[in-house]
Amino acid sequence: MEKNSPRRPDEIESVFALSLGVIHSALVAYYRLTEDEAQGAEEDLFTWFQRLARRGGSGQMPAKLLRISLLSAACQYGRSFQLWKLGGEASEDRELAALLAREPDEVAGDLDRRFDEERS
Amino acid sequence: MSGRILPFRHRPLSSEAGIEAAKKVLATPLDERIARARALHLDDPETLLALCGMLRERMASAPASALEEVEFLYRFIEAPKREIGLFDERDYFLGETALLAGTACRCLSRREEAWIWFDRAEAGYRHTMNAPAELSRLSYQRLAERFEERQLDLVIELLPSLVESFHKLGMTEDALKCRFLEGLALYERDEPAASIEVFNFICREAEALGSHQLLAESYVNLIQAHAILGEAEAAIEASRRAIPLLRELDNRIALAKVQWGLATLLRQEGRTREAIDCYRTAQEDFESIGMRADIAALNLVVADLLLEEGRSVEALREISEALPVISELKMAPEGMAALTLVRESVRRQEVNRQALRELHGYFQELQN
Repeated sequence: MEKNSPRRPDEIESVFALSLGVIHSALVAYYRLTEDEAQGAEEDLFTWFQRLARRGGSGQMPAKLLRISLLSAACQYGRSFQLWKLGGEASEDRELAALLAREPDEVAGDLDRRFDEERS
Repeated sequence: MSGRILPFRHRPLSSEAGIEAAKKVLATPLDERIARARALHLDDPETLLALCGMLRERMASAPASALEEVEFLYRFIEAPKREIGLFDERDYFLGETALLAGTACRCLSRREEAWIWFDRAEAGYRHTMNAPAELSRLSYQRLAERFEERQLDLVIELLPSLVESFHKLGMTEDALKCRFLEGLALYERDEPAASIEVFNFICREAEALGSHQLLAESYVNLIQAHAILGEAEAAIEASRRAIPLLRELDNRIALAKVQWGLATLLRQEGRTREAIDCYRTAQEDFESIGMRADIAALNLVVADLLLEEGRSVEALREISEALPVISELKMAPEGMAALTLVRESVRRQEVNRQALRELHGYFQELQN
Protein backbone atom coordinates (compact mmCIF):
# COMPACT_ATOMS: atom_id res chain seq x y z
CA MET A 1 0.00 0.00 0.00
CA GLU A 2 1.25 3.47 -0.86
CA LYS A 3 1.32 6.27 1.68
CA ASN A 4 -1.27 8.97 1.17
CA SER A 5 0.53 11.22 -1.31
CA PRO A 6 0.57 15.01 -0.89
CA ARG A 7 -0.94 17.22 -3.58
CA ARG A 8 1.33 17.52 -6.61
CA PRO A 9 2.85 20.96 -7.38
CA ASP A 10 1.72 20.76 -11.02
CA GLU A 11 -1.89 20.40 -9.86
CA ILE A 12 -1.56 23.67 -7.95
CA GLU A 13 0.08 25.39 -10.90
CA SER A 14 -2.78 24.22 -13.06
CA VAL A 15 -5.43 25.59 -10.67
CA PHE A 16 -3.59 28.91 -10.59
CA ALA A 17 -3.09 29.07 -14.36
CA LEU A 18 -6.78 28.39 -14.99
CA SER A 19 -7.78 31.15 -12.55
CA LEU A 20 -5.26 33.69 -13.76
CA GLY A 21 -7.50 35.26 -16.41
CA VAL A 22 -10.25 35.97 -13.89
CA ILE A 23 -7.75 37.24 -11.32
CA HIS A 24 -6.07 39.57 -13.79
CA SER A 25 -9.31 41.09 -14.98
CA ALA A 26 -10.49 41.53 -11.39
CA LEU A 27 -7.29 43.36 -10.45
CA VAL A 28 -7.17 45.54 -13.54
CA ALA A 29 -10.80 46.03 -14.55
CA TYR A 30 -12.46 45.93 -11.11
CA TYR A 31 -9.84 47.23 -8.70
CA ARG A 32 -8.14 49.50 -11.29
CA LEU A 33 -4.60 48.33 -10.69
CA THR A 34 -2.11 49.09 -13.45
CA GLU A 35 -0.74 46.24 -15.54
CA ASP A 36 2.56 46.38 -13.64
CA GLU A 37 0.82 46.43 -10.28
CA ALA A 38 -1.36 43.51 -11.31
CA GLN A 39 1.64 41.51 -12.45
CA GLY A 40 3.34 42.05 -9.09
CA ALA A 41 0.17 41.02 -7.30
CA GLU A 42 -0.11 37.87 -9.40
CA GLU A 43 3.46 36.86 -8.58
CA ASP A 44 2.78 37.27 -4.86
CA LEU A 45 -0.50 35.40 -5.16
CA PHE A 46 1.20 32.50 -6.92
CA THR A 47 3.86 32.21 -4.21
CA TRP A 48 1.22 32.40 -1.50
CA PHE A 49 -1.09 29.92 -3.22
CA GLN A 50 1.66 27.31 -3.54
CA ARG A 51 2.12 27.45 0.21
CA LEU A 52 -1.60 27.61 0.98
CA ALA A 53 -2.00 24.23 -0.72
CA ARG A 54 0.54 22.72 1.69
CA ARG A 55 -1.12 23.96 4.88
CA GLY A 56 -2.53 21.51 7.41
CA GLY A 57 -6.15 22.02 6.40
CA SER A 58 -5.69 22.55 2.68
CA GLY A 59 -3.80 19.42 1.69
CA GLN A 60 -6.92 17.39 1.01
CA MET A 61 -9.23 20.15 -0.18
CA PRO A 62 -10.69 19.93 -3.68
CA ALA A 63 -9.42 22.32 -6.33
CA LYS A 64 -12.66 24.34 -6.39
CA LEU A 65 -12.39 25.28 -2.72
CA LEU A 66 -8.74 26.18 -3.11
CA ARG A 67 -9.65 28.36 -6.07
CA ILE A 68 -12.23 30.23 -3.98
CA SER A 69 -9.53 30.97 -1.39
CA LEU A 70 -7.27 32.19 -4.18
CA LEU A 71 -9.93 34.49 -5.64
CA SER A 72 -10.70 35.79 -2.20
CA ALA A 73 -7.03 36.57 -1.60
CA ALA A 74 -6.83 38.30 -4.99
CA CYS A 75 -9.80 40.51 -4.14
CA GLN A 76 -8.43 41.32 -0.72
CA TYR A 77 -5.13 42.25 -2.32
CA GLY A 78 -6.76 44.41 -4.97
CA ARG A 79 -8.95 46.20 -2.47
CA SER A 80 -6.17 46.82 0.05
CA PHE A 81 -3.82 48.05 -2.66
CA GLN A 82 -6.36 50.46 -4.09
CA LEU A 83 -7.32 51.76 -0.64
CA TRP A 84 -3.65 52.35 0.06
CA LYS A 85 -3.28 54.25 -3.22
CA LEU A 86 -6.29 56.39 -2.38
CA GLY A 87 -4.66 57.24 0.92
CA GLY A 88 -7.94 57.41 2.81
CA GLU A 89 -9.73 59.55 0.20
CA ALA A 90 -12.95 58.34 -1.41
CA SER A 91 -12.63 57.39 -5.06
CA GLU A 92 -14.26 59.65 -7.62
CA ASP A 93 -14.79 56.62 -9.79
CA ARG A 94 -18.30 55.53 -8.71
CA GLU A 95 -17.92 51.95 -9.88
CA LEU A 96 -14.63 51.59 -8.03
CA ALA A 97 -16.07 53.20 -4.89
CA ALA A 98 -18.99 50.77 -4.96
CA LEU A 99 -16.65 47.81 -5.40
CA LEU A 100 -14.38 48.94 -2.57
CA ALA A 101 -17.42 49.11 -0.31
CA ARG A 102 -18.09 45.41 -0.87
CA GLU A 103 -16.51 42.57 1.09
CA PRO A 104 -13.70 40.91 -0.91
CA ASP A 105 -15.19 37.45 -0.19
CA GLU A 106 -18.44 38.54 -1.78
CA VAL A 107 -16.66 39.78 -4.89
CA ALA A 108 -14.68 36.53 -4.98
CA GLY A 109 -17.97 34.58 -4.97
CA ASP A 110 -19.06 36.53 -8.07
CA LEU A 111 -15.73 35.83 -9.74
CA ASP A 112 -16.02 32.13 -8.98
CA ARG A 113 -19.46 32.00 -10.59
CA ARG A 114 -18.03 33.79 -13.60
CA PHE A 115 -15.21 31.26 -13.73
CA ASP A 116 -17.70 28.37 -13.69
CA GLU A 117 -19.78 29.98 -16.43
CA GLU A 118 -16.77 30.53 -18.63
CA ARG A 119 -15.71 26.89 -18.19
CA SER A 120 -19.13 25.40 -18.82
CA MET B 1 -13.55 52.69 4.65
CA SER B 2 -10.41 50.92 5.74
CA GLY B 3 -8.08 48.33 4.34
CA ARG B 4 -5.37 46.09 5.63
CA ILE B 5 -1.92 47.06 4.35
CA LEU B 6 -0.42 43.96 2.84
CA PRO B 7 3.27 43.21 2.60
CA PHE B 8 4.56 43.24 -0.96
CA ARG B 9 7.31 41.53 -2.89
CA HIS B 10 9.18 39.02 -0.89
CA ARG B 11 11.88 36.61 -1.91
CA PRO B 12 11.12 33.44 -0.03
CA LEU B 13 13.13 30.25 0.05
CA SER B 14 12.14 27.46 -2.30
CA SER B 15 10.26 24.61 -0.65
CA GLU B 16 13.37 22.39 -0.85
CA ALA B 17 15.51 25.11 0.75
CA GLY B 18 12.80 25.52 3.39
CA ILE B 19 13.10 21.85 4.34
CA GLU B 20 16.88 22.15 4.66
CA ALA B 21 16.50 25.34 6.72
CA ALA B 22 14.00 23.61 9.00
CA LYS B 23 16.45 20.77 9.63
CA LYS B 24 19.11 23.33 10.57
CA VAL B 25 16.69 25.05 12.94
CA LEU B 26 15.92 21.79 14.71
CA ALA B 27 19.62 20.99 14.97
CA THR B 28 20.28 24.36 16.64
CA PRO B 29 19.83 24.57 20.44
CA LEU B 30 16.71 26.53 21.41
CA ASP B 31 18.63 29.20 23.29
CA GLU B 32 20.80 30.02 20.26
CA ARG B 33 18.02 30.36 17.74
CA ILE B 34 16.84 33.92 18.30
CA ALA B 35 20.35 35.31 17.89
CA ARG B 36 20.77 33.28 14.70
CA ALA B 37 17.21 33.74 13.44
CA ARG B 38 18.26 35.55 10.28
CA ALA B 39 20.93 33.04 9.28
CA LEU B 40 18.53 30.19 10.02
CA HIS B 41 15.76 31.78 7.89
CA LEU B 42 13.51 31.30 10.88
CA ASP B 43 10.99 33.90 9.72
CA ASP B 44 10.72 32.49 6.21
CA PRO B 45 7.32 30.92 5.56
CA GLU B 46 8.90 27.97 3.76
CA THR B 47 11.02 27.21 6.84
CA LEU B 48 7.98 27.50 9.08
CA LEU B 49 5.84 25.35 6.81
CA ALA B 50 8.49 22.62 6.81
CA LEU B 51 8.94 22.91 10.58
CA CYS B 52 5.20 22.52 11.19
CA GLY B 53 5.15 19.40 9.00
CA MET B 54 8.14 17.87 10.78
CA LEU B 55 6.79 18.63 14.23
CA ARG B 56 3.37 17.27 13.31
CA GLU B 57 5.10 13.99 12.48
CA ARG B 58 7.14 14.11 15.67
CA MET B 59 3.97 14.39 17.76
CA ALA B 60 3.39 10.62 17.83
CA SER B 61 6.97 9.74 18.70
CA ALA B 62 8.05 12.52 21.04
CA PRO B 63 5.18 14.80 22.14
CA ALA B 64 7.17 16.49 24.92
CA SER B 65 9.96 17.55 22.59
CA ALA B 66 7.45 18.56 19.89
CA LEU B 67 5.72 20.77 22.47
CA GLU B 68 8.97 22.50 23.36
CA GLU B 69 9.65 23.21 19.69
CA VAL B 70 6.20 24.49 18.71
CA GLU B 71 5.98 26.64 21.81
CA PHE B 72 9.28 28.23 20.82
CA LEU B 73 7.98 28.86 17.29
CA TYR B 74 4.72 30.36 18.54
CA ARG B 75 6.59 32.76 20.86
CA PHE B 76 9.02 33.66 18.08
CA ILE B 77 6.23 34.56 15.66
CA GLU B 78 4.05 36.25 18.24
CA ALA B 79 6.38 38.74 19.91
CA PRO B 80 7.88 41.01 18.87
CA LYS B 81 5.29 41.13 16.11
CA ARG B 82 7.12 39.93 12.99
CA GLU B 83 6.20 40.19 9.35
CA ILE B 84 5.87 36.60 8.20
CA GLY B 85 5.28 35.82 4.53
CA LEU B 86 2.33 37.13 2.56
CA PHE B 87 -1.29 37.99 3.36
CA ASP B 88 -2.54 35.75 6.18
CA GLU B 89 0.57 33.65 6.70
CA ARG B 90 1.56 35.06 10.07
CA ASP B 91 -1.92 34.31 11.43
CA TYR B 92 -1.82 30.84 9.94
CA PHE B 93 1.52 30.01 11.57
CA LEU B 94 0.33 31.35 14.91
CA GLY B 95 -2.76 29.16 14.62
CA GLU B 96 -0.87 26.11 13.46
CA THR B 97 1.89 26.22 16.07
CA ALA B 98 -0.73 26.76 18.78
CA LEU B 99 -2.80 23.83 17.49
CA LEU B 100 0.27 21.60 17.54
CA ALA B 101 1.13 22.77 21.06
CA GLY B 102 -2.43 22.03 22.21
CA THR B 103 -2.32 18.60 20.62
CA ALA B 104 0.96 17.82 22.36
CA CYS B 105 -0.49 18.96 25.70
CA ARG B 106 -3.49 16.71 25.08
CA CYS B 107 -1.20 13.73 24.47
CA LEU B 108 0.68 14.57 27.66
CA SER B 109 -2.56 14.98 29.69
CA ARG B 110 -1.74 18.65 30.37
CA ARG B 111 -5.39 19.52 30.10
CA GLU B 112 -5.58 23.17 31.17
CA GLU B 113 -2.64 24.12 28.96
CA ALA B 114 -4.24 22.26 26.04
CA TRP B 115 -7.37 24.41 26.30
CA ILE B 116 -5.32 27.63 26.39
CA TRP B 117 -3.38 26.58 23.30
CA PHE B 118 -6.61 25.70 21.50
CA ASP B 119 -7.92 29.20 22.24
CA ARG B 120 -4.71 30.67 20.84
CA ALA B 121 -5.06 28.51 17.73
CA GLU B 122 -8.56 29.85 17.20
CA ALA B 123 -7.32 33.43 17.55
CA GLY B 124 -4.78 32.80 14.77
CA TYR B 125 -6.91 30.73 12.41
CA ARG B 126 -9.84 33.16 12.62
CA HIS B 127 -7.92 35.63 10.45
CA THR B 128 -6.84 33.19 7.75
CA MET B 129 -8.20 32.91 4.23
CA ASN B 130 -9.08 29.25 4.66
CA ALA B 131 -10.48 29.55 8.17
CA PRO B 132 -13.26 26.91 7.96
CA ALA B 133 -10.78 24.13 7.19
CA GLU B 134 -8.33 25.09 9.92
CA LEU B 135 -11.05 25.76 12.50
CA SER B 136 -12.55 22.34 11.75
CA ARG B 137 -9.20 20.70 12.47
CA LEU B 138 -9.13 22.64 15.72
CA SER B 139 -12.65 21.43 16.55
CA TYR B 140 -11.47 17.85 16.15
CA GLN B 141 -8.69 18.38 18.69
CA ARG B 142 -11.12 20.05 21.07
CA LEU B 143 -13.51 17.12 20.80
CA ALA B 144 -10.66 14.66 21.32
CA GLU B 145 -9.73 16.55 24.48
CA ARG B 146 -13.34 16.44 25.64
CA PHE B 147 -13.34 12.72 24.99
CA GLU B 148 -10.29 12.31 27.21
CA GLU B 149 -12.07 14.32 29.87
CA ARG B 150 -14.89 11.78 29.44
CA GLN B 151 -17.50 14.28 28.29
CA LEU B 152 -18.91 11.55 26.08
CA ASP B 153 -22.39 12.97 25.61
CA LEU B 154 -21.03 16.24 24.31
CA VAL B 155 -18.63 14.43 21.98
CA ILE B 156 -21.43 12.31 20.55
CA GLU B 157 -23.62 15.41 20.17
CA LEU B 158 -21.03 17.49 18.31
CA LEU B 159 -19.40 14.80 16.20
CA PRO B 160 -21.93 14.63 13.31
CA SER B 161 -21.71 18.37 12.67
CA LEU B 162 -17.93 18.18 12.48
CA VAL B 163 -18.05 15.19 10.12
CA GLU B 164 -20.41 17.19 7.90
CA SER B 165 -18.01 20.15 7.89
CA PHE B 166 -15.11 17.94 6.83
CA HIS B 167 -17.18 16.39 4.06
CA LYS B 168 -18.25 19.81 2.78
CA LEU B 169 -14.61 20.86 2.72
CA GLY B 170 -13.61 17.68 0.90
CA MET B 171 -11.41 16.66 3.85
CA THR B 172 -12.20 12.96 3.68
CA GLU B 173 -9.36 11.78 5.87
CA ASP B 174 -10.28 14.17 8.67
CA ALA B 175 -13.92 13.09 8.39
CA LEU B 176 -12.80 9.49 8.81
CA LYS B 177 -10.66 10.45 11.79
CA CYS B 178 -13.84 11.63 13.51
CA ARG B 179 -15.17 8.08 13.36
CA PHE B 180 -12.33 7.19 15.73
CA LEU B 181 -13.95 9.17 18.46
CA GLU B 182 -17.21 7.37 17.78
CA GLY B 183 -15.49 3.97 18.03
CA LEU B 184 -13.76 4.99 21.22
CA ALA B 185 -16.97 6.29 22.73
CA LEU B 186 -18.66 2.95 22.02
CA TYR B 187 -15.79 1.11 23.62
CA GLU B 188 -15.96 3.37 26.61
CA ARG B 189 -19.66 2.65 26.93
CA ASP B 190 -18.89 -1.05 27.24
CA GLU B 191 -19.85 -1.82 23.67
CA PRO B 192 -16.62 -3.36 22.36
CA ALA B 193 -18.37 -5.36 19.62
CA ALA B 194 -19.91 -2.20 18.17
CA SER B 195 -16.57 -0.40 18.41
CA ILE B 196 -14.97 -3.26 16.45
CA GLU B 197 -17.44 -2.65 13.63
CA VAL B 198 -16.51 1.03 13.51
CA PHE B 199 -12.76 0.34 13.56
CA ASN B 200 -13.07 -2.28 10.84
CA PHE B 201 -14.92 0.30 8.74
CA ILE B 202 -12.12 2.82 9.38
CA CYS B 203 -9.53 0.22 8.34
CA ARG B 204 -11.27 -0.40 5.01
CA GLU B 205 -11.65 3.32 4.29
CA ALA B 206 -8.12 4.18 5.44
CA GLU B 207 -6.74 1.51 3.14
CA ALA B 208 -8.73 2.94 0.24
CA LEU B 209 -7.43 6.45 1.06
CA GLY B 210 -3.88 5.19 1.47
CA SER B 211 -3.64 6.59 4.99
CA HIS B 212 -1.07 4.54 6.92
CA GLN B 213 -1.60 6.63 10.04
CA LEU B 214 -5.33 6.02 10.31
CA LEU B 215 -4.98 2.36 9.36
CA ALA B 216 -2.33 1.68 11.99
CA GLU B 217 -4.22 3.47 14.74
CA SER B 218 -7.40 1.57 13.90
CA TYR B 219 -5.54 -1.71 14.29
CA VAL B 220 -4.33 -0.56 17.70
CA ASN B 221 -7.90 0.05 18.82
CA LEU B 222 -8.96 -3.30 17.40
CA ILE B 223 -6.31 -5.04 19.51
CA GLN B 224 -7.77 -3.59 22.66
CA ALA B 225 -11.40 -4.27 21.75
CA HIS B 226 -10.73 -7.87 20.70
CA ALA B 227 -8.58 -8.39 23.78
CA ILE B 228 -11.30 -7.27 26.14
CA LEU B 229 -13.65 -9.75 24.47
CA GLY B 230 -11.02 -12.49 24.86
CA GLU B 231 -10.74 -12.85 21.07
CA ALA B 232 -7.07 -13.73 21.12
CA GLU B 233 -6.61 -14.62 17.49
CA ALA B 234 -8.19 -11.41 16.20
CA ALA B 235 -6.24 -9.29 18.68
CA ILE B 236 -2.94 -10.87 17.68
CA GLU B 237 -3.77 -10.52 13.99
CA ALA B 238 -4.50 -6.80 14.50
CA SER B 239 -1.18 -6.35 16.33
CA ARG B 240 0.64 -8.23 13.55
CA ARG B 241 -0.75 -5.71 11.07
CA ALA B 242 -0.25 -2.66 13.28
CA ILE B 243 3.35 -3.07 14.39
CA PRO B 244 5.17 -2.77 11.01
CA LEU B 245 3.10 0.27 10.07
CA LEU B 246 3.70 1.95 13.41
CA ARG B 247 7.44 1.27 13.20
CA GLU B 248 7.50 2.76 9.73
CA LEU B 249 5.70 5.84 11.04
CA ASP B 250 7.78 5.89 14.24
CA ASN B 251 4.50 6.20 16.13
CA ARG B 252 5.81 5.40 19.59
CA ILE B 253 2.59 6.35 21.35
CA ALA B 254 0.63 3.77 19.41
CA LEU B 255 3.41 1.16 19.76
CA ALA B 256 3.14 1.52 23.53
CA LYS B 257 -0.62 1.07 23.22
CA VAL B 258 -0.07 -2.15 21.28
CA GLN B 259 1.82 -3.49 24.32
CA TRP B 260 -1.06 -2.36 26.52
CA GLY B 261 -3.56 -4.15 24.31
CA LEU B 262 -1.53 -7.36 24.32
CA ALA B 263 -1.18 -7.13 28.09
CA THR B 264 -4.97 -6.83 28.37
CA LEU B 265 -5.27 -9.97 26.25
CA LEU B 266 -2.87 -11.88 28.51
CA ARG B 267 -4.78 -10.69 31.56
CA GLN B 268 -8.07 -11.84 30.05
CA GLU B 269 -6.49 -15.24 29.47
CA GLY B 270 -5.43 -15.44 33.10
CA ARG B 271 -1.71 -15.26 32.28
CA THR B 272 -1.06 -12.79 35.09
CA ARG B 273 2.74 -12.79 35.23
CA GLU B 274 3.10 -12.40 31.48
CA ALA B 275 0.47 -9.67 31.55
CA ILE B 276 2.43 -7.77 34.22
CA ASP B 277 5.62 -8.02 32.14
CA CYS B 278 3.77 -6.75 29.11
CA TYR B 279 2.28 -3.82 31.07
CA ARG B 280 5.79 -3.00 32.29
CA THR B 281 7.03 -2.87 28.71
CA ALA B 282 4.18 -0.49 27.84
CA GLN B 283 5.08 1.67 30.84
CA GLU B 284 8.71 1.83 29.74
CA ASP B 285 7.56 2.91 26.28
CA PHE B 286 5.31 5.61 27.76
CA GLU B 287 8.14 6.71 30.05
CA SER B 288 10.41 7.29 27.08
CA ILE B 289 7.92 9.71 25.56
CA GLY B 290 6.88 11.43 28.77
CA MET B 291 3.28 10.17 28.96
CA ARG B 292 2.87 10.22 32.72
CA ALA B 293 -0.90 9.77 32.79
CA ASP B 294 -0.68 6.45 30.99
CA ILE B 295 2.11 5.25 33.27
CA ALA B 296 0.01 6.07 36.32
CA ALA B 297 -3.06 4.35 34.88
CA LEU B 298 -0.98 1.22 34.26
CA ASN B 299 0.44 1.36 37.79
CA LEU B 300 -3.11 0.82 39.02
CA VAL B 301 -3.78 -2.05 36.62
CA VAL B 302 -0.52 -3.73 37.63
CA ALA B 303 -1.37 -3.19 41.31
CA ASP B 304 -4.64 -5.01 40.77
CA LEU B 305 -2.83 -7.95 39.21
CA LEU B 306 -0.24 -7.99 41.97
CA LEU B 307 -3.03 -8.20 44.53
CA GLU B 308 -4.41 -11.14 42.59
CA GLU B 309 -1.03 -12.78 43.10
CA GLY B 310 -1.02 -11.95 46.80
CA ARG B 311 1.83 -9.43 46.40
CA SER B 312 0.16 -6.68 48.41
CA VAL B 313 3.33 -4.78 49.42
CA GLU B 314 4.32 -4.38 45.77
CA ALA B 315 0.76 -3.43 44.94
CA LEU B 316 0.82 -0.67 47.55
CA ARG B 317 4.04 0.64 46.05
CA GLU B 318 2.49 0.77 42.59
CA ILE B 319 -0.53 2.68 43.85
CA SER B 320 1.59 5.08 45.87
CA GLU B 321 3.54 5.93 42.73
CA ALA B 322 0.36 6.55 40.76
CA LEU B 323 -1.72 8.62 43.18
CA PRO B 324 0.30 11.88 43.11
CA VAL B 325 0.34 11.84 39.30
CA ILE B 326 -3.40 11.20 39.15
CA SER B 327 -4.03 14.14 41.45
CA GLU B 328 -1.56 16.44 39.72
CA LEU B 329 -2.92 15.75 36.24
CA LYS B 330 -6.56 15.82 37.42
CA MET B 331 -7.19 12.53 35.67
CA ALA B 332 -10.78 11.32 35.41
CA PRO B 333 -12.60 13.77 37.69
CA GLU B 334 -15.60 11.44 37.96
CA GLY B 335 -13.30 8.90 39.60
CA MET B 336 -12.67 11.17 42.59
CA ALA B 337 -14.73 9.04 44.98
CA ALA B 338 -12.83 5.92 44.06
CA LEU B 339 -9.57 7.84 44.23
CA THR B 340 -10.34 8.98 47.77
CA LEU B 341 -11.19 5.43 48.81
CA VAL B 342 -7.98 4.08 47.33
CA ARG B 343 -5.94 6.84 48.96
CA GLU B 344 -7.50 6.11 52.35
CA SER B 345 -6.95 2.39 52.01
CA VAL B 346 -3.29 2.91 51.05
CA ARG B 347 -2.89 5.00 54.18
CA ARG B 348 -4.17 2.01 56.13
CA GLN B 349 -1.79 -0.24 54.17
CA GLU B 350 -4.71 -2.38 53.06
CA VAL B 351 -5.85 -1.77 49.51
CA ASN B 352 -9.56 -1.35 48.84
CA ARG B 353 -9.60 -3.52 45.76
CA GLN B 354 -13.08 -2.62 44.61
CA ALA B 355 -12.24 1.07 44.66
CA LEU B 356 -8.96 0.32 42.89
CA ARG B 357 -10.76 -1.53 40.13
CA GLU B 358 -13.29 1.22 39.81
CA LEU B 359 -10.52 3.76 39.54
CA HIS B 360 -8.44 1.95 36.94
CA GLY B 361 -11.67 1.23 35.09
CA TYR B 362 -11.89 4.98 34.50
CA PHE B 363 -8.45 4.94 32.97
CA GLN B 364 -8.86 1.75 31.00
CA GLU B 365 -9.72 3.54 27.82
CA LEU B 366 -7.38 6.48 28.33
CA GLN B 367 -4.91 4.58 26.19
CA ASN B 368 -7.10 5.23 23.18
